[in-house]
Amino acid sequence: MWLNFPVFASVAILLWMAATGLFLFSASKILNRLAAGLSLSGTVVLLVFVIMLWWTIDRPPMRTLGETRLWYAIFLSGIGLASYFRWKYKWLVCYSLTLAMMFLSVNLNHPEAYDKTLMPALQSPWFVPHVIVYIFAYALLGASSLVAIRNIFVKSSGKTTSEPIHMADNLVYLGFSFLTLGLLFGALWAKEAWGHYWTWDPKETWAFITWMFYLIYIHYRFRNPLAHNKAMMILAAAFVILLICWYGVNYLPSAQNSVHVYTE
Amino acid sequence: MSEKKSRKTWQHPWSYREGTIVTVAIIVLGFALQIASGGTSFRLAGFPWNLVSGVIFLGFLVLLFWFLKKHAVIKWLGGVKAALPAIFGFTFLVLLMGFVKQDVQSKNMLVELLGMNHLVKTWPFILINFYLLILLGLVTLKRLTPFNLKNFGFFLNHFGLFLVLLSTALGSSDVKTLNMDCYEDQTEWRGRDLNGTMVELPIAIKLLDFNIEEFRPKLTIIDNKTGKILIEKNRQKFELLDRDAFDLFQYHLEVDTFYASSGRVGENYYPVNEPGSSPSARIKVTNLMDQSVAHGWVCSGSYAMQPAALKLNENHSLIMLPAEPKKFSSEVSILTKDGKSQTALIEVNKPFRINGWTIYQLGYNTEMGRWSDLSMLQLVRDPWLPAVYTGIFLMLAGAIFLFIFGKPKSGGTEHVA
Ligand code: HEM
Repeated sequence: MWLNFPVFASVAILLWMAATGLFLFSASKILNRLAAGLSLSGTVVLLVFVIMLWWTIDRPPMRTLGETRLWYAIFLSGIGLASYFRWKYKWLVCYSLTLAMMFLSVNLNHPEAYDKTLMPALQSPWFVPHVIVYIFAYALLGASSLVAIRNIFVKSSGKTTSEPIHMADNLVYLGFSFLTLGLLFGALWAKEAWGHYWTWDPKETWAFITWMFYLIYIHYRFRNPLAHNKAMMILAAAFVILLICWYGVNYLPSAQNSVHVYTE
Repeated sequence: MSEKKSRKTWQHPWSYREGTIVTVAIIVLGFALQIASGGTSFRLAGFPWNLVSGVIFLGFLVLLFWFLKKHAVIKWLGGVKAALPAIFGFTFLVLLMGFVKQDVQSKNMLVELLGMNHLVKTWPFILINFYLLILLGLVTLKRLTPFNLKNFGFFLNHFGLFLVLLSTALGSSDVKTLNMDCYEDQTEWRGRDLNGTMVELPIAIKLLDFNIEEFRPKLTIIDNKTGKILIEKNRQKFELLDRDAFDLFQYHLEVDTFYASSGRVGENYYPVNEPGSSPSARIKVTNLMDQSVAHGWVCSGSYAMQPAALKLNENHSLIMLPAEPKKFSSEVSILTKDGKSQTALIEVNKPFRINGWTIYQLGYNTEMGRWSDLSMLQLVRDPWLPAVYTGIFLMLAGAIFLFIFGKPKSGGTEHVA
């Protein structure tokens, strides 16, 4: 089943490339609609793949790093498109799609073994909501950091406009609420499965640090609404922490034997 | 940021600078206390002293706010300029935890001296928590008076966190965690606590039956010389034995016979179901390179049985890996001091609750696997849990609030002290 992945992934990448190209080089409304349609088709193709994969391996495909990359690509492309419909920022769709294509390419270069077995502790009604909510939060917060990074490097005229920061705020508030849900779902599940809601397992620790960084952003924005640049810096730093949490924890010496470390 | 030039430190209104100084001072003081106390880990008093201190703390916060809410320092404590550095300080400590492996001895003198390998039990961590509780308490009170429905989301988030932090801190000394080893048909009423001391419990447990459901075993190819599992890029290194035919590396496998539980007689395996029996399968393997065929038994073995490999050629053999558990559960009969007797099924993710105790399925004798007559249970008692859960549910509601309403429209500046 996973063997079909190259076909699905290539189709999605082609659709997204076409969408990005159209978004970047066309001004007409119809072509933009076409681009949005292509972008959506790419996401749907991947979604179909994930559902079929779920069906075949008979467990939620959320256990390995490759599987989470797949979800990330789906959510990121979806969020890019949704924010295009909401705020009409073409560059954000393009960034999101590029990032999503990058994740797919990583998966294409590291086709992974999938394993149908799932340890008893992970067989819980909490598993799916916990992971989906987290990945969705990561995708939203990732998108917010794209806004921040672009704003730090592309200060074209020197004058600050308030639109990008408002978009960053919106994405952070959405992403942060999902992050909080993921954290709390995790705590409730841990109580049910392991007897304690919080054990400072390395992944929990890093998830908490990530949460704190976005908390810092929210409070700083609240008190210093005009200091856009510093807020954007916090957001960029938060993204680094988020990446460590999601990816780097597997390699940290402090994290050996964690239940959360994804198998590769 | 023009205030930086015009205002001296400690001259009101205080700002981030004072916030940073206070936070750093608290952390430094904490580490100093940690060193002075010789690294003994900190433990709060148990019931009823924790409850009493909690009530005193709450009373103290309310009185402080009631009488001094106009005072510049109290105003500052209820604002972002104190909160942000405090949150930063807390994040800093948690970052230390993220890099230094917790709950193991460290060779590094400094790590041991400062207690960085068990940070949650050290003075700096406890002091910063205490400081955050004061800030959270004051800002909650500030936003509650005068009451305004618009602050509802704010209340859910901040009071929720306040409740979670306070009740976990106070309740930590009342949590009891005991591991109990239960053998089939024997009654056990003692458990080992986290320090390894045997403790008698008001609950007795008799293990009636321990059950494991297993996945089908996996098949894999090993290298005859090294004994290691074959790994090729872009190839699955094993296959679950859940189909009649499949490919593994350059081999095509057809399953003749599969026994989930079998014993060996001579060269053959027969279905039996008694302690020590093991899964086995008779498999026809065709080498897709040269069409050569090998045909024979593989068996994963158990504590009582030798595993069997099928030699395919000079280089490779087919082996069966021990089946992985899909589900394990204990059927128990539970007796309490007050005379209750009850049977229950305890499973991973499905604990059983009785008289304030929650009983978890923890493990079993993995050496004996499916035939284990030992079930390891864990009994946890956490009387403060309802308070913690209330806090968690407030925060869940707060998150949904953030999701729906997003950022406060005005930027919220009208509230700023
Ligand atoms: C770690 C402890 C926390 C402290 C010390 C703290 C402190 C504060 C303070 C002082 C303000 C400004 C209020 C004002 O000046 O009236 C504030 C605002 C805010 N805080 Fe926190 N906070 C904490 C945790 C949280 C958490 C966990 C959340 C969300 C889940 C949160 C979300 C917000 C939001 C959204 C605002 C903006 C104001 C509003 O909603 O009206 N804070 N916080």
